Amino acid sequence: MRKCIIMVAFLLATSTTIYAGGYQVSLHGQRQLGMGLIGTSLALDASATFNNPGALAMMPEQLSIVGGINGVFGSTAYQMETPSVYQAKTDNPPGTPFHFYVAGMLTDRLAGGIAVNTPYGNSLKWEDGWAGRFLIQEISMRAITIQPTLSFRLTDMLSLGAGFVYAIGSVDLERALPVEGPGGEGQLNIDGNATNYGFNAGLQFAHPLGFSAGLSYRSKIMMEIENGDALFSNIPSSLASEFPAENRVDVSLPLPANLDFGISYQVTPDLLLGMALHYVFWSEYEELVFDFNENTSSLPDSYNKRDYSNTLIVRAGGEYRVTPAFYLRAGGYFDPTPVNSDYFSPETPSLDNLAFTGGASFMPSSNLSIDASLLYIIGMEEDMRYTPENFNGTYSSRIIIPGIGITYQF
Amino acid sequence: MAKNNIFPIILFIFIGLFTSCEADIDKHSPSAGDADLSTFVSLGNSLTAGFMDGELFREGQHNSVANIMAGQFMHTGLEDFNQPLMHDDIGFGNRLVLAQVEGQLLPVPIGGTPDPGNYENIYDAEGPFHNLGVPGAKTQHLLFEGYAALNPYYGRFAANIATSSILGDALVLNPSFFSLWIGSNDILGYALDGGEGDNILPPEEFRAAYQYLVQQLTQGGAKGVTANIVDITTIPFFTTVPYNALLLTDPDVVAALNMAYAEAPHIEFDIGPNPLVVVDTEHPAGFRQLETGELILLTALDGIQNENWGSQVPLTAEYYLSLEQINHIAEAVNEYNDIIHNTATETNMAFVDVNELLREAEPGIYFDAIGFSTDFVSGGIFSLDGIHLSSRGNAIVANEFIAAINTQYNASIPKVAIGNYPGIIFP
Repeated sequence: MRKCIIMVAFLLATSTTIYAGGYQVSLHGQRQLGMGLIGTSLALDASATFNNPGALAMMPEQLSIVGGINGVFGSTAYQMETPSVYQAKTDNPPGTPFHFYVAGMLTDRLAGGIAVNTPYGNSLKWEDGWAGRFLIQEISMRAITIQPTLSFRLTDMLSLGAGFVYAIGSVDLERALPVEGPGGEGQLNIDGNATNYGFNAGLQFAHPLGFSAGLSYRSKIMMEIENGDALFSNIPSSLASEFPAENRVDVSLPLPANLDFGISYQVTPDLLLGMALHYVFWSEYEELVFDFNENTSSLPDSYNKRDYSNTLIVRAGGEYRVTPAFYLRAGGYFDPTPVNSDYFSPETPSLDNLAFTGGASFMPSSNLSIDASLLYIIGMEEDMRYTPENFNGTYSSRIIIPGIGITYQF
Repeated sequence: MAKNNIFPIILFIFIGLFTSCEADIDKHSPSAGDADLSTFVSLGNSLTAGFMDGELFREGQHNSVANIMAGQFMHTGLEDFNQPLMHDDIGFGNRLVLAQVEGQLLPVPIGGTPDPGNYENIYDAEGPFHNLGVPGAKTQHLLFEGYAALNPYYGRFAANIATSSILGDALVLNPSFFSLWIGSNDILGYALDGGEGDNILPPEEFRAAYQYLVQQLTQGGAKGVTANIVDITTIPFFTTVPYNALLLTDPDVVAALNMAYAEAPHIEFDIGPNPLVVVDTEHPAGFRQLETGELILLTALDGIQNENWGSQVPLTAEYYLSLEQINHIAEAVNEYNDIIHNTATETNMAFVDVNELLREAEPGIYFDAIGFSTDFVSGGIFSLDGIHLSSRGNAIVANEFIAAINTQYNASIPKVAIGNYPGIIFP
C-alpha cells in the first residue's frame, strides 16, 4: 500500500510507458474507462474519433475537445517452476499513456476530428540479474497514433465514419547474454523506430428511445524497424569479433487489428448501461525475429516463436448522473491472454486479465467536465512455459491505473 | 442525500483492492517427504568434491554438486554441511583458465603460489566434513583405510591419515541421508592413458565394492541417492579432436607426406581432412591411420598442432583410443551402470541417470533460457579440463539429483536457478 502511494506522487514525472493485454492498451478516454472501457456504441464527445469513427457524427455538441492522461503502476511476479523457491518481480517505471481528441461538426451531417493517442505499448523492467535475464531484462515499446477522421450522418439513426491512422512506434529492449568475462555478463541493447499506416472505420446506430449500437474496425499496422541499433556491451575481448559491437537489426512487430462491437441503453435519464465485445486479431503475432545485419557463428538471426491467438474481450459498465454536475461510473471486463502458454516469454507477461473500473465527472460549467477514472487489473496467476529455452514458472500481475482528463465542448 | 453516499463507498472498495497493489505469488513450500535430510554426507570422486578446470579450489568447491544439493536441503531440515575447503582459488596449483595464446583461445595454467595451508590436514581445525568427495578416488578407495597417505586430496581432511577411510569418516557422522556417485575413475583411469596404463576394474569387483558401500551406508537406516557414470563419448576430453583432424590444403604438403609414407601403401593423404597416423603395434606395419569413431585425447592437441603428431610423427598409443578399446570401455560403463541402477532399485534409493542427461545435452539443450551442449568450452557444461563439470554443469546435475530424491521420497526439495551459478569465464 505504501509503495503505491509513493508511486502516485511521481505519476507525471516520467516518460510514456504502457501496459495491458498482449501489448495493446485500451485507455482511450476517462469516461469510457470508468465504464469498463466500453466506448464503441457511445457518441459522447470527440473521443469517438478513436473509439468508433462512425459515432463521431452523432456527437451531441458542435465542437468537442478531450484530453487525458493515465498513470500505469504495474508489477509482475514470477515463481520458477516448482519445486523451486526462486522468485523475481518487475520494478516497472510508472507509465503515462495519454489521449487527445478534437472534433467538430463541419456541416449538419458531416463531422471531422483528429485523435492522438497511445493504443499499443509495453513496458517492464525485471529486477537486476533475475533468472530470465537472457530472455529479457528490460523493455519499453510503444506506438503513438495520429488519426484524422471524417464521419457522416446518413439518417438520424445511422452514421458512419473512417480515419486514416499514422503510427509512430519505438522499441528499446535490453537482455543479458550468457557470455561471461572478468567484468560479468555481456548485454544486448536493441533500439529502433518505425512508422506505418492503417485505418479505423465504424458504423453507429442510435435509436431515439435511447438504444445505441456501434461497430468499428481498426486495421493491423505492421511496425517494421529497419536498421535499428543492436549494441553489444561488456563482451569479453576474446569474443569481440563474435558480437560486432555496433551491429544493426531488423525487427517487426504487428499492431493487431481490432473488431469492436458495443451496445448501450439509456435506461433512465440518469442511468446509462452498456457492454462491448472487442475481438483482437492477435494471431498475426506468430514470431518475433531479430534479423541482425552482421551475423557470426555465435550470433545467428534469432527466431522466437510467439504463436498468439485471437482474443475476445468482454466489457460491461454504466454511468449514473448523481446531480446535473456530477456523474459516477463503474464497470469491468475480462481480457483473456493472447499468449500461447508454451511460448510465454517474460518480455510480454500477459495473463488473463480481470479488471474493475470506476470513474467520476464533475462539471464546473455546462461546457467543461473534469473526468477521473481508476482501473484495477488482476493478471490471474497461471503456470506458463517458454519451451524453446526451457524457462518455466508461475506468473501473476497487478496493475493500477488512475487517470484524469478534461472535456470541453459547446 | 443518500445518493451522495455512493461515492465514499466506491472509494472504500477501491482502497480495499489497492492493498494488493503489488503482484505476489505464494512461495513454494519445500518438504523432505519420507527422507530425513538432517545429516547429509556426500561420497564420491572429483565430481562430488567440486573439482573443475583441472583442480580443486575454493570457488569450485562452493559450486560442487554436493554443496549445491546441500544448499537446497537447508530448505528442508539440513542445518550444517561442512566442506574441506581449500584456502584459495589455486588449490594445488593445477587450475586452468582460458587465455588467448597466439590468437587461439586455450586453457592455460592460472599460475600463482598455492597457500601452504592447502597442503595441511585441516580435520582437527575444521572437521568433521560432510563433503567426502575425493578427486581421483576409485570405488575401492572409499573403503581403503590409509588412502589418505596415497591421495593428498584426502590427506588434507582425513580424520586420521594413517587409519581413516572415506567410508569410515562418513559413518562416524551417523548420516540420515547420503549421496554416492562413484565408479568413473575405475574406467577413466584406463581411458585417460589411451588404454595403455591402468586396467578397468572388473565389473564383478566393482559390484562387490559398490554393494558393500551401500550396505554400510544404509545399515543405520539412512536413505540416499546414487548416480551412474558417464560414457566417454559425451566427454569433450575425448570428442574435441576429430579422428581426421589433419586438414591439408597445400598439394605440395600432400605430395610430400605421401612420399614420406611411400613404403606404407595403406597410408594415404589427400587435400581436405585426413585421418591421423597413429602407432599401432597390432598392425603389421606398426602404424596406421585412424578410423571413423576412434577417439583422440585432448592432450594430443598441442602436439598435433605444433609437433606434426599424426602426420610426420605417428601419434603414440597413449593419445588415442581404438574402436576395440572404446567398445571395451562402453561395455564396462554399461555393466557398471546396470550394477548401480540395480543396487539403487533393490535398496529403494533415488537414482540419477547422469549418463542419459549428458547424452540428451550433447546436441544442445536449454536450462533456464541458457543454451548448453557437451562441446568443449563453448558448451558450458564441462569445465576447462574437458572432463569435469563446470559450476553450471554441477548445478544442472544437482537439479537432477534433487529431482530423483523428490520422486523417490515424495519430497519437494527446491531446485536451483542455473543462471545463478558462474559460467565459463572468457578473457
